[in-house]
Amino acid sequence: MSEGKLKALPAISVVGLDKRFGDLSVLRELNLSIAGHEFVCILGPSGSGKSTLLNIIAGLETGYTGTVTLGTQRVGYLFQEPRLLPWLTAERNVDFALDGCKVPAERRRDLKDHYFALAGLADFRNYYPHQLSGGMRQRVALVRSLCVEPGILLMDEPFSGLDELTARRLRIDLLKIWLETKKTIVFVTHNAYEASYLADRVLVMAQGRIRDEIAVQVPRPRDYDDPAVFDVNRDVVRRFLAAADLSPERPAEGAVSTFAPKSVLHSSGGVQ
Amino acid sequence: MSLRLASIAGAIALWWLLSLAMPANLLPGPLVAAVTLAKDLAEGDVLPHLAITLLRVIGGLALAMAIGVPIGILMGINQRAEKVLDIWVMVGLTVPSLCYAIICFILIGLNEAATIVAIGLTAAPSIAINLWEGVKTIDFKLVEMARIFEAGRTRILARVLLPQVMPYVMASVRMGLGIVWKIAVLVELIGRPNGVGFKLFYWYQLADMAQVLAWTLLFTLVMLFIELGILKQLEHRLFGWRPRVGL
Repeated sequence: MSEGKLKALPAISVVGLDKRFGDLSVLRELNLSIAGHEFVCILGPSGSGKSTLLNIIAGLETGYTGTVTLGTQRVGYLFQEPRLLPWLTAERNVDFALDGCKVPAERRRDLKDHYFALAGLADFRNYYPHQLSGGMRQRVALVRSLCVEPGILLMDEPFSGLDELTARRLRIDLLKIWLETKKTIVFVTHNAYEASYLADRVLVMAQGRIRDEIAVQVPRPRDYDDPAVFDVNRDVVRRFLAAADLSPERPAEGAVSTFAPKSVLHSSGGVQ
Repeated sequence: MSLRLASIAGAIALWWLLSLAMPANLLPGPLVAAVTLAKDLAEGDVLPHLAITLLRVIGGLALAMAIGVPIGILMGINQRAEKVLDIWVMVGLTVPSLCYAIICFILIGLNEAATIVAIGLTAAPSIAINLWEGVKTIDFKLVEMARIFEAGRTRILARVLLPQVMPYVMASVRMGLGIVWKIAVLVELIGRPNGVGFKLFYWYQLADMAQVLAWTLLFTLVMLFIELGILKQLEHRLFGWRPRVGL
């Protein structure tokens, strides 16, 4: 269900994007084209501009130059934190999104039944966020973003706040869900292994530009511990380090608090 | 619950023991106070005074909320407002309630309006501080989330911001009530011909300790009922979603 209409046009097209915060140039002449149903991971250190890029695509950030064209009206967004309303149950949280996006009443029940089951939360719809574990809360957030039937799903380090075991389970389930729904996904991360496992294509970002691009040839469905993924990971890490070290215009120390020194690569995630 | 009952029983026992050790006219025991209160109630003199005091409490609390809530919210969301207002909130907190009462009676006159203004002004700074802290805890990331799911301004205000502020408004009502009723009796004592404060002062002048204790007991019981019987239950129902509701 909820198969998006096939489009010849790219789902996301970004041309000549520039974004500044005051004196600080965050994105520079950035070009990006993402095809429909593609799973793209954007890998970059803290302060590389990857979250800003995602926020611009989502429409949360304005005041940039360049063009951003989306092949769809609606985007879903999975934040680093679940961002659930704590006074509402899991299901009411999803309803909040459905209300806002004006999803017709007759479709709601099917959508909710389908995605709650898909995320393994069928029995937890009436739980409040504080009664759920961190992983389950992020699953509720995933259900919420899927239920509004977005053409594009944006994810900003959604598993980096979780313990490795939970994150691993969620990555595996996310791929299952993606194989079923075939949403266009842009997934921001600083975890090279996560990117290698999930993506069709890994874009390496540093200093506000896309520095490198790695096509991941591992066939799907993928096994999380497939040696082929490890091989890709090795390649990705090598090229990531190379790209991140190209630092002709390193931002001034302490110019903006989010511009932390280059973060170390972690295959486990959960830094910051 | 049983601990709480034991604690109350212990306090009454202590009162009783102290009353045994002291002359009867200086500290009557709990039984004497209770009997005096029952007699006063039977004579029908109590309820009119209690009613007028409660009205002043409600009016003063409403005024204090009307002043304190907007100021607190403004200070929480606007740094410039915070800089301008925080010193005045501190000053307002420092000025004794007796000063507010005297100034209001002189400026406005010995009437109900002055009474309520004095009560409201005294309690407003505490309420403002409470809201100020509360607004600072608002999670604006939830607003971003709501925008992603296409919620408009009104929806964000009503369903994302207001629910986050409400617990602090409710806490302010409870805290404000605690402050307001103490001020109310003081204001009545210096400038009103009726109310619980007036009666307390009347019996004080007659040095009738049994009556003073009876009226104190009455007022405490009524306020405890409002606090535990009404406000706490309301809070529980409204904010039951919270992991733990503080006392």
